[in-house]
Amino acid sequence: MWPMLSKERAYAIIDLVLEEAKGYETAVIVQGGNEALTRFANSEIHQNVQASSMDVTIAVTRGHKRSAVTTGLCTPEGLRRATGEALANLEFLPEGEKQPPLVGTPPEIETVSLDAELEREFTAENRARLVARTLATLEEGYKAFGTLAYNVNLLAVGNSRGIRRLAIQNSVNYTALVASAGGGTGYAEARSHRAGDLDLAGAFARAYEKARLNRDPAELEPGPYTVILEPLAVGNILAFLSLMGFSGKSVQDRAGFLTGKMGERVFSEKISITDDHTDPNTFTLPFDFEGSPRRKVTIIDKGVARELTYDLNTALKDGTETTGHALGISPMSGMTPPVPLHLVMAGGDQSLEEIIAGTGDGLLVTRFNYMNPVNPRAAQLTALTRDGLFRIRDGKIAGAVKNMRFTESMLHALNNVEAVSRERYRTGFFNFGCYYVPALKINDFHFTGKSG
Amino acid sequence: MRKKLESALSYLEGLKVDYADIRVHDITDEAYSTEDGRVQAMIDHRSRGYGIRVFLGGSMGFAASQDFEKMEQTVRDALAIARASRLAQKRPVKLASRPAAVDSYRTPVEIDPFSVSKKEKLELLLTADAEMRQAEPGLFKTAGTLDFRREEKIFADTEGSYITQEIYHTGGGIKAFAADGRDRQVRSYPNCFRGNFAAAGYEFINDMRLVENAAQAAREAAALLKAEECPSGRFDLVIGSSQMMLQIHESVGHAIELDRVLGYEAGYAGTSFLNPGMEGFQYGSEHVNIVADATVPGGLGTFGYDDEGVPAQRVPIITGGKFENFISCRNSAAVLGRLSSGAARADGWSRIPIVRMTNINLLPGSMELEELFAGIEYGFYLCTTKSWSIDDRRLNFQFACEIAHEIRDGRLTGKIYKNPIYTGITPEFWNSCDGVAGEKYWQMYGTHNCGKGEPQQLGRVAHGSSPARFREVKVGVADVK
Repeated sequence: MWPMLSKERAYAIIDLVLEEAKGYETAVIVQGGNEALTRFANSEIHQNVQASSMDVTIAVTRGHKRSAVTTGLCTPEGLRRATGEALANLEFLPEGEKQPPLVGTPPEIETVSLDAELEREFTAENRARLVARTLATLEEGYKAFGTLAYNVNLLAVGNSRGIRRLAIQNSVNYTALVASAGGGTGYAEARSHRAGDLDLAGAFARAYEKARLNRDPAELEPGPYTVILEPLAVGNILAFLSLMGFSGKSVQDRAGFLTGKMGERVFSEKISITDDHTDPNTFTLPFDFEGSPRRKVTIIDKGVARELTYDLNTALKDGTETTGHALGISPMSGMTPPVPLHLVMAGGDQSLEEIIAGTGDGLLVTRFNYMNPVNPRAAQLTALTRDGLFRIRDGKIAGAVKNMRFTESMLHALNNVEAVSRERYRTGFFNFGCYYVPALKINDFHFTGKSG
Repeated sequence: MRKKLESALSYLEGLKVDYADIRVHDITDEAYSTEDGRVQAMIDHRSRGYGIRVFLGGSMGFAASQDFEKMEQTVRDALAIARASRLAQKRPVKLASRPAAVDSYRTPVEIDPFSVSKKEKLELLLTADAEMRQAEPGLFKTAGTLDFRREEKIFADTEGSYITQEIYHTGGGIKAFAADGRDRQVRSYPNCFRGNFAAAGYEFINDMRLVENAAQAAREAAALLKAEECPSGRFDLVIGSSQMMLQIHESVGHAIELDRVLGYEAGYAGTSFLNPGMEGFQYGSEHVNIVADATVPGGLGTFGYDDEGVPAQRVPIITGGKFENFISCRNSAAVLGRLSSGAARADGWSRIPIVRMTNINLLPGSMELEELFAGIEYGFYLCTTKSWSIDDRRLNFQFACEIAHEIRDGRLTGKIYKNPIYTGITPEFWNSCDGVAGEKYWQMYGTHNCGKGEPQQLGRVAHGSSPARFREVKVGVADVK
């Protein structure tokens, strides 16, 4: 039985805080979540959890001072105390940077997208049945691992200029890893906020098929290879490109690879990347954590760096307007950079099957493990392949290969794109956000090590 | 509160559950960030709630809520989830035994960090910032952070335990950035990841001497921008404690987690190259002695009891290079018929406890730092983590550091290189260790952002070490053509 994540409750919290902070420039963010996750390992459920939570962020501004308090104590008393703390901090805070004015228009943006079928079909009992059904398809010698999660998320924003924002959405995330007794693994995911889009059995079958193929892996020496990165692998790379370089903050900090390169061709003309929450394959979030309307941003247009994503503060610094990508504050990291969450990479005109068929000698990569930037200014990343690395010879999968590590500049790799797949898949951006990406065939991709 | 928790547990006992526990976490955080002489963020955070874990007929269910008035409903939710789990379960979940405890624990602190004024904390960061600017006016950016946490926890279970704990964590650090049209370099003090953290009070910040160390960080950042790229090839390395912490974390700490070994994390964080029965495996050279020590003062993995009510322990992990023990929770230990090592922790009320590193420490050797250098004809002394990556079985790692100090003919030359990267295979690397510096060089570094579990949890762990020497390590990637 979930507590209600309702518009009425969220707006009542916002109203209470604004009343308590009357006379101050005040912004209130309410984040609520009901999350339920069934986790299976060794072909049985081993963890099964649910948690409901609500957190409120109160940010008050006076002149060049800004103070923020977040609290999970959402009773009137808890909210009054938190507001009082935020106001008290203004008394001793030194003057900081010029603060942008709060968002004032439009007065209201609301979107409620609750798929009744998801709610009905993904109860704890039904999740367990779904997991059991897929596990029953495994032959002896194979085991499965993964998760089936059902989430309801609420984001509400209000401020002393009178705006109100609300987004409520439910979604399902499914991950499946199948492992053979010999150690070969395969992996696939499915995620959507629409029940009709979910094909859990199909995802499980893909993971299973990869695990079957992933046997007796050959060991290859490091060096440059032609690779076909499946969408999960492309999504891994895109997430780090986004963190390293797609926000205005990354250029202002001279930290990202697009520093000094805006307007230039940085990738192959086959690469176009937008951030577009209106694409039906991402998820709907028409405003950001400051209440600004979220707009579509063309980040890479046929290889040319066109636009970056901004929040109010970083836009003020660059003398531009926010694109509606604020992510608020975090006690872990302070101000969170305005990173895009809804990246869509343009597809090509060949199917993945055709791309494989047209490859004389290459490597097919399922996904990567533990990716991290090595040199963000050079867009240099490193990671290891995981859950299925296959040799392609004469247009066919010729066998499995032991996992390998790449260390490569994406400024190099994404200029060597030979083909982009027509079909695209939804992939995750860490624990939130949703991308829609194709597979890529890249030449001269540098593997620098092999797994032990 | 105690009456409320005991009432819920009595209800569950009446239903003949195998076992149940309730954890209440009340967390207060203060986080400060400054950039370029200004306050970038000052955030107060409070999180309070409870989680109920029920084992019924060999199946587990967990439900968590912030609403203490609805505890009965949360109990029913946990029961329903446990019943659902049975639908896809082959073997009953078992828990290793341990004595019930009624006890309390508090992190020893000299200065309660919440008793120090916010103004004083900000002034410290702004003063350190000014010192960096004064030392190197051309710096592109300067930054500083302070973090304080008080976590009040209650653990109660159907076996009769009732444990209260008050844990304090304190952290801080500064960063100097130098940048030009082509490059950006950073130097952090005392470490990256928002500095260094300890289970301690404000005395930890005072001892850190941020202001006194600001100028050196600034000068090194500026020098790194002009420095040459670190050469590629095979070299002898001395690795400083501020990088050893990550080396231990990734290539030992995660590999010895029994839940990974048993496949519980296979779909996400990964597994391990270790298997039950590998006790005695030559993990490293004779110089490598590593313990998991939740009792050592000051570590982020130091506590009175873990989140399953198991007392803090000091467990030998690698002795004289030989692997001895995994770290475990009650469930994973029971699978091997062993007792829990007391390493189950949750990152808050809304998550279940999972196997977490405590303080995984490399014990000091007997060498002077200069002796480590003296044994190297040509190599590097690497400090402070900059980038990290390792495979899902914890074998192939690649780490980058902020700075490489050149060693030639047994001495530091004073020359530095930027962007040093080194890579290796876990057992080969640890077996190449031929010296660890002595106790006076030993230092513990804490980190608060170790990701694991689904839904993801951020663990707080620490790693102590002295600088150590490793032979013929692969450095750089430029030579891989």
